[in-house]
Amino acid sequence: MLTRRTTLAGLAAGTAALACSSVPAWSQNFTKQVHMIVPYGPGGTSDILARLIGPKLSAAIGQPVIVENKPSASGNIGADFVAKQAGDGHTLLITDVGTIATQPSLVKKLSFDVQKDLVPIGMVMFSPYCFAVHPSLPVSTFAELIAYDKANPGKLNVGNSGVGSIQHLLAIVIAKKYGLKWGMVPYRGGAPAVRAVVSNESNVIFNGALATMPFVKQGQLKGIAVSGDKRLPGLPDLPNFKELDMPIVEVGSWQGLLASKGTPPAMAARLNSEIKKILAMPEIANKIVELGGEVRTDTPEQFGAWIAKAIVDWGAVVKAENLQTDG
Amino acid sequence: MDLIANLATGFGVALTPANLGFCLLGALIGTLVGVLPGIAPITTIAILLPFTFSLPPTSSLIMLAGIFYGAQYGGSTTAILVNVPGESSAIVTCLDGHQMAKQGRAGPALAIAAIASFVAGTIATLVIATASVPMSWLALKFNAAEYFSLMVLGLTGAVVLAAGAPEKAVAMVLVGLLLGLVGIDVNTGTPRMTMDIAELGDGIGFVPIAIGLFGIAELAVTLGRPRDHSLLSFKLSNLWPSWAEIRQCIPAMLRGTVLGSVLGVLPGGGAALSSFAAYALEKKWSRHPERFGRGAIEGVAAPEAANNAGAQTSFIPLLTLGIPGNAIMALMVGAMMIQGVQPGPQVMTAQPQLFWGVIASMWLGNLMLIVLNLPMIGLWVSLLRVPYRLMFPAIVLFCCIGTYSVGNTVFDIWAMLLFGVLGVFFYKVGAEPAPFILGFILGPLMEENFRRAMYLSRGDPLVFIERPISAVLLLMSLALLVILVLPAVKKKREEVFQE
Repeated sequence: MLTRRTTLAGLAAGTAALACSSVPAWSQNFTKQVHMIVPYGPGGTSDILARLIGPKLSAAIGQPVIVENKPSASGNIGADFVAKQAGDGHTLLITDVGTIATQPSLVKKLSFDVQKDLVPIGMVMFSPYCFAVHPSLPVSTFAELIAYDKANPGKLNVGNSGVGSIQHLLAIVIAKKYGLKWGMVPYRGGAPAVRAVVSNESNVIFNGALATMPFVKQGQLKGIAVSGDKRLPGLPDLPNFKELDMPIVEVGSWQGLLASKGTPPAMAARLNSEIKKILAMPEIANKIVELGGEVRTDTPEQFGAWIAKAIVDWGAVVKAENLQTDG
Repeated sequence: MDLIANLATGFGVALTPANLGFCLLGALIGTLVGVLPGIAPITTIAILLPFTFSLPPTSSLIMLAGIFYGAQYGGSTTAILVNVPGESSAIVTCLDGHQMAKQGRAGPALAIAAIASFVAGTIATLVIATASVPMSWLALKFNAAEYFSLMVLGLTGAVVLAAGAPEKAVAMVLVGLLLGLVGIDVNTGTPRMTMDIAELGDGIGFVPIAIGLFGIAELAVTLGRPRDHSLLSFKLSNLWPSWAEIRQCIPAMLRGTVLGSVLGVLPGGGAALSSFAAYALEKKWSRHPERFGRGAIEGVAAPEAANNAGAQTSFIPLLTLGIPGNAIMALMVGAMMIQGVQPGPQVMTAQPQLFWGVIASMWLGNLMLIVLNLPMIGLWVSLLRVPYRLMFPAIVLFCCIGTYSVGNTVFDIWAMLLFGVLGVFFYKVGAEPAPFILGFILGPLMEENFRRAMYLSRGDPLVFIERPISAVLLLMSLALLVILVLPAVKKKREEVFQE
C-alpha cells in the first residue's frame, strides 16, 4: 500500500515536472479575457488600483481585462468566487491582503481556505494609517494621549471601520501594550468613522493616511502619528510608528494580487513580472503616490510567506479577544 | 454682493463650451442610469472615474455631479410608468405617480416630477451658494443620539404614509424592521439571521427588495387582471398638467424643497428620509388626505422636490467640511483627491473657480435636464401603448439586469423574485409596501445609532433627552403620535356614545 502510494506520488510528481518542462511556452500565455475581481464596492483603494492596472495588464498580455466588483462580507464573497474558478490564471483577485488574512480566524465557517484555494501572485502597494484625535482633546503627542487616558478612563473612544477590521485589531494591540482603557466604536467603513471623529462622536481614529490627511491639515483632526517606518511628506511633523516603538510598525492597507487555486507557477511568475513592469511605469507609480501609498513588490513566494505570517499574527489577536463569529 | 460676484465666477467657468459639454454628458448618462432600474449612479461614477483622470478637476466634478442628479430625474420615470423604483427616493414617487399613470395621467405625472425637480434644484443651488457654511454645522451637530431620535421620528411618520389602516402600516413597519436586521451586526460583528448564507452577510440588498416588492409584484398583479391589453387601462388624457394643477403643486414643491434641503445636509441616512418625509407632510397638510395613494398630484411633486433638493444639498458637507455624506459623495472625494484637490473648508477660498463652477453647473444641469425631459414625456407615455406580451418580458429583463449589476451576483435576482412573490401576497392582504420599506431602511440605522449612543454614554439613556436636538426630535415624534392616535380615540368614544 505504502509502496503503491509512493509510486503514485512519484509518478504524479514526475508528470508534473514533465508538464512543467515540456509546455513552458503556452502555459503562461493568456488565451481569453481575464477577470480581475474587486471584492469591495466601487471607489475604494482596491477598485481604483484595479482600474489603473487593468488596461496596462490588458496591453501586456494581449487579452481584455475586465474589472468586476463583487462586494459584501468583508470581501469574502469576491474571494470565494475567485477561489472557485478554474486555475488557469484568467481570474484574479485584487484585495486588501491584511483583511483577507484576518478572515480565517474571524469567521468560523469561512467558505474558502485563504492559503489553499488562492494562489499568491504578488504584493502591489502599501499605504500607511494616520493616527489622529479630535482637536478638542488636550493632547498633541502619543505620550500625552496615554497620560490623558490614565487620568480620564473611559473618555477616549476609537472609531473603527468595523468589528475585526485591521483598524480595530490595531487599537486592541496598542491598548494592550500601553494599558489603555479606550472604548471601541465600530462604524460601517472608514468614511463614516472619520465623520464621527471629526464631529467628536468618537475622538480617536486610525485610518488610511490619504483620507485622513486633509482633515489633519485643516485642523479638523489633530495628527498624532503615521504607521510604517517613514514619515509622510504631507505631514512631516508627525512621528512614525517605528519612532514611537509601536507594537506593529508596518500596519495599514496592503493591496495584493491573487489567483484561483491551481494556477500554474509559470503563469503566476508571468503575472508577477507583468505587474512589476506596470507598477514601474511612472504614470502608475505617480497615481499610487497620489492615492497615499507606495509601490511594494515581491515574488509570489515572498508574498505567500507574508500572507502566512499575517494569518498567524492577526489570528493571535483575534483569538485573544475572542472575536470569532459563526458566519 | 459677494454672492453675485461669486456666481459670476461660477457661471464663467461652467459656461465654457467644454464644461457645458461635460455637464450635458453627465446629465444624459445620469438620466439613462436613472431610467434603467437598479443600475445605480454609484456604479456608473466608479466606472467612469478613471476616464476623468485626464480631465481638468472642475470638468470631471461637473460631469460626475451631473450623473448623480441626472439619475434623480431619471429614477422617477420608471417609478411612474411601470412602478419600478430605481432608488430609495423614487419609492414614494411610485405611490401616487403610478396611480396617475394608471388613470391615463402619466404625462402630467412625469411633467410635474420634472418641474418639481427643477424648482427644487434651482432653490437648492441658491441654498448651497448662500448658506452652505452655516448649514454645515448641522452635519457636525448630528451624533448617534440625534440620528436615533431622527429615525424614531421617521418611523412614527411612516405610519402616515399608508393609505389604509394604520394598524396594518404599523405591522408592515415592524416586518420591514425585522428584515432590516438580517446581516452582520455593526456593533458586535455577529451575523444575525443569515442562515449561513454568505451573501446575506451585508443584509438583504435594497435594490432586490424595492424592485421585487414594487415592480415585479405590480406586473404579477396586473397579469391577474386579464382584461387589459396594455399598461394603459385608461384613455390618455392631456400630456401636460393644467395650470390649476401646477398652482396646486407649488406650495407642495416648496415645502418638499425645504424639507429635502435640510435633511440632505445630514450625512448618512438623512437623505433617505427626505422624500418619505415630504410625502407624509403633504398628506398630513392636505384637506383631503384620502386622495393620497390614489393619484394625488401633490404626492408626486413634494417627494420629487424633496429628493432633488436633498441630492444637491448633500454636497454641502463635502464641499465645506470634506465629509462625504453618502457612498456617492465618498467617491467624489476620491475623484477630487486623484485630481490633487483636497476636499475641505479651504476649497472655497483656495479654489473658488472649482467651487463656484461646480455650483453654477448644478443649476445649468438642472435646466438641461428639464429641457431634455419635457419633450421626452410624449415618447415615454407612448411606451405605455406597447402591448403586455412585449412590455412585460422587457421590464422583467431590465429588472434582472439592473438587480444583477448592483453586486454582480445571481443571488440578488433570486431575492428580487422572492420579494416579488411577497409583494403579491402583501397586495392580496391589503398591506402596503411603503411603510415596510421605510422600516427596512430606517430600522437598522435606528438600532445602530441607539446602541452606539448608549455605548458612548456608557449606558446612560438620559443622553437622548440631554442633547437638545435629540430632545426636540423626540418631542416631535411624541406630538406626531398623539395626532395619529387622537382621531382614533375620538372615533372610538363617539362609537361608544352612539351605543
